[in-house]
Amino acid sequence: MFENPQVSKLFWFSMSIAYSFCFSALYTYSTIPEYLLELDNTIQVNLTMKLATVRLAIIALALVAYPIILFRFFKYAKYFTVALTAWAVAIYIDDYFVLSEIIKYPESQLISLIQSLRPIMIASLLWMSVELVFRPMAVDW
Amino acid sequence: MKNKNVDDLEFSTILGHASDEHSINKNYVVQSSTFRLTFSFINLYALILIVLFFIVKGNLVEGINNNFLDTGFLSVLNTRGILLFILLISLNIAAYFNSGFKYVCLIMLVYMLNSAIDNAVLFSGFMHLTDRPYFSAFSVTRPLFIIALIWVFIIHKDKKKSIKKV
Repeated sequence: MFENPQVSKLFWFSMSIAYSFCFSALYTYSTIPEYLLELDNTIQVNLTMKLATVRLAIIALALVAYPIILFRFFKYAKYFTVALTAWAVAIYIDDYFVLSEIIKYPESQLISLIQSLRPIMIASLLWMSVELVFRPMAVDW
Repeated sequence: MKNKNVDDLEFSTILGHASDEHSINKNYVVQSSTFRLTFSFINLYALILIVLFFIVKGNLVEGINNNFLDTGFLSVLNTRGILLFILLISLNIAAYFNSGFKYVCLIMLVYMLNSAIDNAVLFSGFMHLTDRPYFSAFSVTRPLFIIALIWVFIIHKDKKKSIKKV
């Protein structure tokens, strides 16, 4: 029923980084103190929180779906990983280059930390995509 | 009386031989007509959308409500237009060289879905469908574009197949 994906240890390491980041983001955004939102109650922050909620819902779905695809439908895992990587890069570009004048994250150290760790998560996803796409070339590290 | 079978046989022998002499290598992929039609639609739709982005951005056509451009939508349209153009070029290059088409198609699909979600979440409060009817028409028909992208992703043949010799 379940396949054993022949991937390197670096792939599992990258996957654990990506999962840790996503769980941290879910935790951070779902436990933002009310007073912080009331303090920064601007249109920009409200829009950002609305957008973050939609994105977190998609992330939660992806976190559930990814192991199923990896272990059950391995031949589609590369397409799913590439799609997730493309999405992670797209929202990063959106936040910093496209929507920079429109969205504003609430003033919180934890949120700033999560935002600064995003490139590491993107790098992990990129490695996962590259390994799955060029799978025959992958060696056990 | 002329023997038609013999003539056909002679012709096919000559043509077959000529074909063998002049063709170097016939190992290329022939995409289906559905693919070509859908791909043309994607190109046409994306090009019109990019032009429309810049028309709205430049305020070249009078709209009913001009205020929504002040909400930051202007810079978004500019960057989205450029990114879509780059992705469209990449898609065409991937299709021409038949290399990595599915991945570029997937990236474009994700980008379009993401921008649709962003627009729906961020700008739905500022913009009404009647503000820019021609622009709204494209926003409403965006699912068609996304379906077309999914369709070309599915029906694209990326493996080389040998064409049978006659």
